[in-house]
Amino acid sequence: MSLDWQGAWQALITHPLFGFALTLGAYQLSLALYEKTRWVVLQPVLLSILLVIAGLWVLGMGFEQYRQSSELLTLLLGPTTVALAVPLYLNLRRIRQLLWPVLLTLVCGAVAASVLGVGLGWLLGAEEGVLRSMAAKSATTPIAMLVTEQIGGIAALAAVFVMVTGVLGGIFGPELLRLIGVTHPAAVGMALGINAHAVGTSRALAESEECGAFSALAMSLTGASIALFLPLVAALLV
Amino acid sequence: MLLRGLTWLVVFQLLGTLLSVLLVPQLPGPILGMLLLFFFLLLRGQVGEPLTQASTSLLRYLPLMLVPPATAVILHLELIARDIWAIAGALVGSLLLSLALTGWLMQRLIERQARRRGES
Repeated sequence: MSLDWQGAWQALITHPLFGFALTLGAYQLSLALYEKTRWVVLQPVLLSILLVIAGLWVLGMGFEQYRQSSELLTLLLGPTTVALAVPLYLNLRRIRQLLWPVLLTLVCGAVAASVLGVGLGWLLGAEEGVLRSMAAKSATTPIAMLVTEQIGGIAALAAVFVMVTGVLGGIFGPELLRLIGVTHPAAVGMALGINAHAVGTSRALAESEECGAFSALAMSLTGASIALFLPLVAALLV
Repeated sequence: MLLRGLTWLVVFQLLGTLLSVLLVPQLPGPILGMLLLFFFLLLRGQVGEPLTQASTSLLRYLPLMLVPPATAVILHLELIARDIWAIAGALVGSLLLSLALTGWLMQRLIERQARRRGES
């Protein structure tokens, strides 16, 4: 009896859940590696992307086929983005006493991060697609991807910019802030949350609870305000 | 409980999509859904148990959900390679400047508020 190896292999890699399985495997491997080493550079998502790309390359599978067979995860991204309203609400309710400093810093910081990113990219000669994908980089990844798509950039590029920014901010942020004499936990937290999203917030939590709370608040608020204002500003400008 | 919370989230996303198509085409559906849910929570003054459960469960797996769409960068490697120095410069430069600016500004504002409170 001869087994149909070729057919079995085809059935495996063209299965509508194959990409899902590949992603689950890559993510869990990355998570285990990150937990073992605790290196900030080994952010599970960034590592998973590299592993999936390597996997696709080894299997000779096109991206389109991977995209279709991992759609289950992408579909859940919508309700999860909606769920971001819950931490936003809870964080906002928790912090009342420094409301005006928080709001003022938020507006200045979010505008500065966006304008500086696009401005520097433009000065250094980046193409328009890159510039449009740069604008939302201080929002958390799901928001940055949606907004970037809306303003004509490349969502995947924005995701990578956000993640790289988060890692760099998490590594250098606390040192830089100490160097220029920013020591108040709320100030450190705000700076990390506005500029370095989730990685920054986990660093801020390691500093102190107050620092972490402000960072989480800043991350939520930055995401929401970029989601709301950037597409409107872009619609007015273009 | 989880299903009830999930239903709320999906309903808000669908409402967001309706709103996006009908009134505000500049904003994507999930983002409008998030804003609607936020205002709903403000009005209600609390987060119910089903919504807490569904949102914490989903948000815990958010990084996993980001992997497939972010993997689409492989379609743009040429663009990245062409602009790699501009990208690196813009990301690092804007991050450092904006970190310093926000930290400094927040600290100044906190000190000013503390002084005012001290005076009055």
